Amino acid sequence: MNILEANNVTKNYAAHKALDDVSIAIPKQSIFGLLGPNGAGKTTLIRIINQIIMCDEGEVSIKGEKLHPKHIKDIGYLPEERGLYKKMKVGEQLMYLAQLKGLSNAEARKRIKHWLEKLGLTEWSGKKVEDLSKGMAQKIQFIATVLHEPDILILDEPFSGFDPVNANLIKDEIFELRDKGATVIFSTHRMESVEQLCDDIALINKSQKILDGTKRDIKNSFKSGKYVVNYKGSLNGLSTNFDVLDTTVVQDDLSESMLQAKAGQLPNDILKELINLIEVHSFVEVVPSINDIFIDIVEGGKS
Amino acid sequence: MRQIFLVLKREYLTRVKKKSFLLATILTPLVMPAIIIAIVYFAGQEKESRSDKVLVLDESGYFSDAFDVTSFEFEYITGDLESAKKQLLDAGAFGLMYLPKVDLSDASVINYNGFELYSKTNPSVQAMERLEADIRNTLEDIKLQNSGLDPTVISNLRVRVDLDSFNISESGESQESNAQLSFAVGYGTGFLIYMFIFIYGAQIMQSVLDEKTSRIVEVIISSVRPFQLMMGKVLGVGAVGFTQLLIWFVLIGGLSTVGLSILAGDGAVMEAASQQVPQEAMELTSQQEMAANIQAMIATVPVVKILLCFLFYFVGAYLLYGALYAAIGSAVDSIQDAQQFMFPIIIPIIASIMAMFFVLDDPNGGLAVTLSLIPFTSPIIMMARIPFGVPDWQLALSMVFLIGGFIGTLWVAGRVYRIGILMYGVKVNWKTIGKWFTMKV
Repeated sequence: MNILEANNVTKNYAAHKALDDVSIAIPKQSIFGLLGPNGAGKTTLIRIINQIIMCDEGEVSIKGEKLHPKHIKDIGYLPEERGLYKKMKVGEQLMYLAQLKGLSNAEARKRIKHWLEKLGLTEWSGKKVEDLSKGMAQKIQFIATVLHEPDILILDEPFSGFDPVNANLIKDEIFELRDKGATVIFSTHRMESVEQLCDDIALINKSQKILDGTKRDIKNSFKSGKYVVNYKGSLNGLSTNFDVLDTTVVQDDLSESMLQAKAGQLPNDILKELINLIEVHSFVEVVPSINDIFIDIVEGGKS
Repeated sequence: MRQIFLVLKREYLTRVKKKSFLLATILTPLVMPAIIIAIVYFAGQEKESRSDKVLVLDESGYFSDAFDVTSFEFEYITGDLESAKKQLLDAGAFGLMYLPKVDLSDASVINYNGFELYSKTNPSVQAMERLEADIRNTLEDIKLQNSGLDPTVISNLRVRVDLDSFNISESGESQESNAQLSFAVGYGTGFLIYMFIFIYGAQIMQSVLDEKTSRIVEVIISSVRPFQLMMGKVLGVGAVGFTQLLIWFVLIGGLSTVGLSILAGDGAVMEAASQQVPQEAMELTSQQEMAANIQAMIATVPVVKILLCFLFYFVGAYLLYGALYAAIGSAVDSIQDAQQFMFPIIIPIIASIMAMFFVLDDPNGGLAVTLSLIPFTSPIIMMARIPFGVPDWQLALSMVFLIGGFIGTLWVAGRVYRIGILMYGVKVNWKTIGKWFTMKV
């Protein structure tokens, strides 16, 4: 079931089209990667989902209902450009933001305590934000986003500003929230985190959706029939079904070759042939990384 | 509503809890009267210690005790004008008054010229008037005596008149009016509004700008509509101003009541104690009388009406201009950029305060009526007019216009605000603001 659907969303600004007929569907309890280069229209789409701006055409629905002010409570949004009130104390600030999302005082207090403990920030509760390190402020920001236990979490570049340790901490929290039932929309142009986190992705470029689907399907569809083989022996006598693109000597008698299979050849067909010729040490199908696909599409779009 | 209230509460509490707010709020009503008292005190000191000497060259001998010795010290000299002038320059005197011989034998002559005052610095208008009056009175007395009147008869002929002015309402009730007090109240309330627009308008702008530059605004507007955020902010900052004003009123009111009653009470006690010394007692009762007079004078202005109107125009002016300040804050990236947009907002405020003097002079003139109807100037101008009495229809019309005015500016500001707060690093001019205003969200 899709928790969020955007159908044929179009948004025009005076000078340009920010979104052009974009449709996405986000399955419940998934981590959905919204990818695209800077200025592609990701933030515009997120702002429309957050009801900060409205789309000119098309429709967004949450849990099958057309977007409505009541949905604001269902969303936790961590914008890319984020900040906190510098002069306000951490605890008061979280309380304020929680109340704006409709939490009662008592409930908010309980959850703030819980989260500050969880991320090891309890003793900072009475400190002003300007006294915090950047990483700590980012954690506070994350807490503010999840305090009201939203069904949909929209995280725009959530790891920027985190050191690797804290980035992992946040990553674990994101997984945990997902397991508890939240759906995470994850907007980024850092592909390694997409690779680790996302179940589904959509790629937006120049206001248009170029690609979407599950991560696995997309990667599979971008496979180009390339294989890397580590072996002893010689590849001479290989059938015309294969081209040897490149061969390097790894160690004394151990070589590594890149093979290009003709269309329609399955991995087993190749293996069967190879076993007769050489001693196979490893055999790996080359699967493109999301990063490769991203660059491929975005660069391709430019030409 | 809950959202607006939450924003309002935060804006209010963070400001009211600041030490600077407490200091300004509590110290101002204490410091201001202290300054006024100090000025009055030193002015009095100066007057008493004044020893400016005026040389008098009285050729006729008529003026031997014509002058009021409280204003100057007079020294009568003899000789001719030239030597007197020299004497003035040599001596440390302030001035030289030359009173040539006058011929009073012909009673039909009424113009007497030739009296001259030489001084090193310009004498005050007041001093000149007093000296003139002294000379005139002396000559009149002599002419009256020459015409055969007894000096006691002459002094009995002099009468004193007090013109009391009253306002008459349509129902025929008349009420004592006091032009000076009306002026003071009109000016004071108008000026308060002027001051608060500037101080708190700037605070709204700063607050909007802070949220924009700290980038928290996008987090906030994912839970609050931009208009709610703007309204909460405007109302919250306004509530701070209101609190400050209220504390000032209470403190000043309390202090002056205490002050007046001490003045009055003192008089009563001292009067009883000083029965044996009648003269002293008389002075003290006059002091008591003064306190009573002040209280009576205050009773002549329609206090309740002024307070209610002040409340209305204060809130109205604040909303009208507060919204515009919020819009400017949302449009720019720094306070420096804000300057160019401030100008058109400041103009009507400054114009109001300048026009106020003409309005106080002629509270029911065309200028006064017009400006008190236009929402951008009406708060200050109408407050200046109210103590003098304003026809009900004008008051009602002006209020309706002001309500329309602030609804209008809130609407316009809201449309600019919702776009402005999300725009960073955009070169903003009036055209872009106009574009934002018409833009669909």
